[in-house]
Amino acid sequence: MRLKDIWIVFKKEVKDISRDKRTLLISILVPMLVIPLLNIFVGGGIENLQKEINQNVIIALSKESKTIDVKNMVEKEIIKDNENIKLVECEDPLRALNSGDVRLVIDIDKDYKIKLREGKPFEIKILYDKSNTKSEGSIWILSSAIEKFNNNMVEKRIVSAGLDKNILKPSIIKEENVADKTKNGAGMLATFLPIIIVVLLTVGGVPAATDLVAGEKERNTLEPLLTTRPGRISILIGKYMTVTLFSFITVVASVIGIFVGFLINPNALSIGSGEQISGFSIPVPAIIFSIILAIALGMTFAGLQIALSTYAKSFKEAQIYLSFLMIAAMVPAYANMFTQPNDIPLYSFFVPVLNTIAGFKVVLSGNINYLYLFYAFGSSIIHVVLSLAIAVRMFGKEKVLFRS
Amino acid sequence: MVKVEGLSKKFGKVEAVKDISFEINVGEVFGLLGENGAGKTTTLRMLATMLKPTVGKVHFAGIDAVKRPHEVRSRIGILFGGETGLYDRLTAYENIFYFGELNGMRKDMIDQRIREISKTLGMTDYLGRRAAKLSKGMKQKVAFARSIIHDPEVMLFDEPTSGLDVSASRDVHDFILNCKENGKTILFSSHTMTEVEKLCDRIGIIHKGKIVDTGTVEELKQRYDNSDLEEIFIRLVGDKI
Repeated sequence: MRLKDIWIVFKKEVKDISRDKRTLLISILVPMLVIPLLNIFVGGGIENLQKEINQNVIIALSKESKTIDVKNMVEKEIIKDNENIKLVECEDPLRALNSGDVRLVIDIDKDYKIKLREGKPFEIKILYDKSNTKSEGSIWILSSAIEKFNNNMVEKRIVSAGLDKNILKPSIIKEENVADKTKNGAGMLATFLPIIIVVLLTVGGVPAATDLVAGEKERNTLEPLLTTRPGRISILIGKYMTVTLFSFITVVASVIGIFVGFLINPNALSIGSGEQISGFSIPVPAIIFSIILAIALGMTFAGLQIALSTYAKSFKEAQIYLSFLMIAAMVPAYANMFTQPNDIPLYSFFVPVLNTIAGFKVVLSGNINYLYLFYAFGSSIIHVVLSLAIAVRMFGKEKVLFRS
Repeated sequence: MVKVEGLSKKFGKVEAVKDISFEINVGEVFGLLGENGAGKTTTLRMLATMLKPTVGKVHFAGIDAVKRPHEVRSRIGILFGGETGLYDRLTAYENIFYFGELNGMRKDMIDQRIREISKTLGMTDYLGRRAAKLSKGMKQKVAFARSIIHDPEVMLFDEPTSGLDVSASRDVHDFILNCKENGKTILFSSHTMTEVEKLCDRIGIIHKGKIVDTGTVEELKQRYDNSDLEEIFIRLVGDKI
């Protein structure tokens, strides 16, 4: 293995691949555009949906409950303090609920007046449409209003009994979120960003890996290459470095995409949580660890992608194998999407893919544990060596290299 | 120059090449004549150090090809038949230059040699054009230039006229004869009798991985008392099919 030979192969492969429009599209353009678009459409969409749910809660009374008394009680006692809830008249409330004209229908016990007078509980049934996000999302808004009505009624009863209204409150719960707003936003970022980076790392190297071995086999350029002076390992490493470079270029393009998304809509970066991440800072060593972890994962994938591309008889076969590899990487990535940084099990720092996601989550959580990052880094190095060993073994196998 | 001794190659249980031996002298064109699947390509791949022999030795000017494959590879040039195997997204110049670099040449030397070869082959006009945009004939000339950029002592031709029309085949023949004139030692594999007769000083008839006879065309004709090489070939392999 000679460095000069590796450099010659690498230089040529980069030149060759960078002239391939398909690779440029998948590795650079798509990640640069997809993330800002996701921010705008998904992040913005979730935010708008939440706003919409909170704002226009249109409710109706069931046919059985449609009386002046019930209407008055609902309007004047239950929803009076919540201007977002609006009671409307409906001829057929259930049909209106199914068609989405109203969000909820409430059905009130016909004996409610007697029960209220006697101090007994009466039933308020909330009918909703589970297939309608807005309907289901509105339940808690109406429930809160009913809860408030209940509290008011209890207070009235206690006061009328000549007791202090605070008698039923031996303690008052006060919740306080100590995380600042920037951290909340970063928490959301820690949920989605690692997945996006891992997925793009698996995708980024695919066009190059497919083209550089299976593609060369198919175009009959591999055999002349193998008859030149450099050893097989030098040729392989040159190709491997190219695939790694393109995986990393994809990540860089994605980061640029994230910044563009941030510039377009700072709130959307936190995927609809409504929190901003401006002002959130990551220490330099943690950034370096993150970059190393990303490169290491790119190198691990590159090794496996080259190995699979070598094994494949044709370009198409390589694409199929590499798609399976992408799925195999995405499954653990998505399965751990909602694991919070503090809940990451220790083994995650040693398993391929999971270790990178865990490392990113730790860095983005703000509470950086360098020991865990070191575990992730150490295991990544082992994965890189193993995947490269597999690629070298595969590229050295005559049966595989010349099978057709 | 090239010495092959007891060369065999097994792929699992299949023995593609069985104990073959031959020698090629300096400046000689040796033809390996055989049908498809006879073991020609496997033999050439072993000579080009792409495949390791299961048993046997190959020497190029005394250098052991199994033990010192790098040295051997820098002394050989190879041209395959069928597709020319060029990088479509690189220009003709870049394709040739890459192989010059891979074979350890200095950049100024490569440039000078590309100018010389392209003048000889008449390809100066399209050196800067991407391979994908070249005609089949142009691509073929680029492949010729690529195979001799490092001025190898030995040339290996693996069915170089396979799938080519008459004029393209003639270009290949001229190129081989030109290599011979320049003193190169040539191993040429083919299943076409006429081109073997036309180009080769000596031939080895290979069948089912074994060399069944070797000699000059004249020697074979006298040995089998027949002036038709095709008849001789059929006689040698026909009853063994």
